[in-house]
Parts: sequence; structure tokens; C-alpha cells
Amino acid sequence: MSLKQTFYKVRSSKIVQGILIANIFAFLIIGMQSSLLPKDVGVLVFSEFVIIPLLMGIIMAWCWKDTSMRGTLITACSILGSLMAILLSFIFLGEGIICLLIVSPLIFGFVIAGAFIGRSMFKKSNQKLNISIVSLLLGIFIVDSLSDHHHENMVSDEILIHASPAQVWQHVVAFDPISQKENYWLFNIGMPSPMATTVSEHKLGANRKCIFSNGYIFDEKIVKFDVNENLVFDIIDQPKDPEIMGHIDIKRGQFILKDNGNGTTTLIGNSWYNLHVFPTWYYDLWAESITRNVHFRVMEHIKLLSER
Amino acid sequence: MFSFVVRRLGFLKDIPLLAILFDSLMRLWMFIAKPELLHWIDDLEENVERMPGTTVGIHKYGGTAFNYSGKEFAHVHSNGLVDILLNKELKKSLMMDGKIKDHHLFKNSGWISFYLYNKQDVAYACYLLQKAYDRAREKQNSVFC
Repeated sequence: MSLKQTFYKVRSSKIVQGILIANIFAFLIIGMQSSLLPKDVGVLVFSEFVIIPLLMGIIMAWCWKDTSMRGTLITACSILGSLMAILLSFIFLGEGIICLLIVSPLIFGFVIAGAFIGRSMFKKSNQKLNISIVSLLLGIFIVDSLSDHHHENMVSDEILIHASPAQVWQHVVAFDPISQKENYWLFNIGMPSPMATTVSEHKLGANRKCIFSNGYIFDEKIVKFDVNENLVFDIIDQPKDPEIMGHIDIKRGQFILKDNGNGTTTLIGNSWYNLHVFPTWYYDLWAESITRNVHFRVMEHIKLLSER
Repeated sequence: MFSFVVRRLGFLKDIPLLAILFDSLMRLWMFIAKPELLHWIDDLEENVERMPGTTVGIHKYGGTAFNYSGKEFAHVHSNGLVDILLNKELKKSLMMDGKIKDHHLFKNSGWISFYLYNKQDVAYACYLLQKAYDRAREKQNSVFC
């Protein structure tokens, strides 16, 4: 068989058609959503991760309805369709690799679910029901796209340090580079982790810089400066990283030092952020986990320096 | 993992699509870790589809549901757990063989659970599905008689 014949055979294959049509549909609808319903850059609503993958699966099932594919093959082709969607998001939407890694369980899960829901729908041949289901999903997509989305969260962690508040305070405002090995899996695969903090002056209103492992810098301004007790800083500029790119805004950070009266200090780290990716029941799990690990990396380092 | 999720997070199963998402992710994992299991599940589906009056669909709590005259008589989750509706007498006699267990949630019912661990288990699962199908058909016929 010549290369040309192979190409035509692949192109006319129902399996390939299903995967291609589903992906074209997804990118068309996201393109239409971006141009017709402008929203803030980086905001991704829950429909983009739930409804579109479900519809992609249903479209694939519709293309495959006359092929009597077994469940294993449906699963394999759904995975292939999902991988294609993820690859296209990387190329055309400029999403970062870690971002895509985080989103992939939702894409794989809902595309596979959609393919099996679609298979059941098209086996019954109840056109009214099928049109109702697809219309309902599209309706949810439109309403969700038109709705306002806002989610703010605060993550708090604490650590016990065997040093006085005065000793701890010296390393809270600014600290030397962290030399400890990363122990959080996302940091190990390339997510930037905090490395050092510098400060222009030790006083209220001073500029603080939090430097990350890849050289990115978060510019901060000290808004509360109670020596040996409380440090609050607002994040005034954060890097334009493809892994962040408007998906999350870190707003404010805080260190509270509690004197335990026995030569030890409880160091509390708080961070406030706005999340712009939905559903929050999924993405907040990741945001909290990442923030917590940033906290502990910094606070463990402060503990090490203070107890030295 | 499955038992942990069912026991600890089972209360979330009524959130639309959540159980189906969980089952789809199990299917993804099985495709990577134990793809032959998905073939065995396909074998079960084909076996049930050959039984007159049956339909195969999506189970509301994730997996594949096997129905007779629109009523479910069994379902299989994507980790190879087959839940089958028998009656208590039949369940008692089959449990003597030691191959089946009480349903993973409804212990005191006619439901039983059976795991597909290997290719040989498919034949026994088909035998159990045939029993459940016969029972469902008899029950349906007795309603009309």
C-alpha cells in the first residue's frame, strides 16, 4: 500500500475521524467563547474542564457508533483524543507542562466518561433524549461562561522552632539561600520553589523580593512590621510564568511569631491567593498543596537558621 | 484504594458525574497497569448482550450496568469488581464455595461481589451473571403470569 493510500485509509477511519472532530469541536468552542464572551486572561471556567471533555467523548462515541468497538478500544482511543487535546493546549493555548499535568486527570476522566455515556446514548437511539442531553450540556457551558467567577483562599501552616522570637525574626524578614534538597514531587519535576528572600530595608514600607529556583522574582512590599511578632507583605508583582499566567494571584503573605515562654517560638505562615481556574474543588486541592509546600520549604529553612 | 474511597468518600457518590469520573479514572489506570482486565470486562459485556432482553449501559455510580427489561441485575466497576443481584438462598449456597463475597456495601442483601483477578474468573463471573439473569427473567415472568 502506498503512503498516499495509507493516508486516505487513516483519514477515512471512523476512529481517527472521531478523535479529530472532537478536538476541532473543542478548540472551535473555546475560540468562540474567548472571542464572544471576553473574560480576564487566565480565567478558565469549570465547563472547559468538565463539559467540553464530556462533549468530546460524546462526539467520539457518535463517530464510532457503527463500529462495534469494544470498551478497551474505546478507552484507548479516548486516551489518544485526550492526549491530542492536551498537546494542542500546549501548542496553541501556551499552557505550561506542570499546568497540563495538573489538568490532565480531569481531561482524561471526563473524555473517557463522555465516550461511555455517548456509547450508551447512541445504543438506545432515542434522538430526543440525545439532543436534550447535548443541549443541556451546551446550556450549562454558556451559563457558566457568562457567570462571574471569584475564589479567594488562605492557607495557614505552623512550625515549632527551638529559638526565641528575636532569633527567629532575624531570618523571617530576609534569609540566605535555601540549600536543602527539594522534597515535594512537583518541585522535583520542575515547578519553581522558593530559594531566597532579600529586603531593601528592615522597616515598614520596604521592598522585599522572593527569589525562586528558576530566577523568577515576586516583588513584595512590607505592610506590617511588628518586630519579633508579625510581618505582613503584599505581593505587588508576580512573574508571567506559563505555569501561573493568570491562573492564580498570590495576594499577601504573613509570618506570625508566637513566644511560647519556654525558649521556643511557634512560627505561623499565612498566604492569601485568588484562584482563577475552576472547579475549585479540584484546583484548590493543588493550590493548597503547592502553597503548603512553599510555606514548609521556607519555614523549615528559617527553623534551621534560627536553631543553628 | 477502591475500598478506601467507597468507605470514606462514598457520601459524595450522589454528586452528578463524580462517581462516573472516578470509575473513568480507574479505567484509565487499569488501561495502563492491567489492560487485560478491560478485555475481561468486554468479554462479560458481550456475554450479557447475547442474553435476550438485556441492555448494557452506564451505571449511575460508575461502571457498566447490566439490565434485563430495564432493571439492573448486575454491574461491573472498572477495577474488575462485579456486583451481582441474586437471592439470599442462592447467595448462601454459592458462598459455601468461597469464591464470592457479600456485596461490598450491602451485606445483608441478595447482592454479591466477585473480583476478576485472572482470565479463569471470567467464566465464573459469566456463570454468576447467567444465574442473575435467569432470576431476573423468572421474576419478570412471574409478574406477568
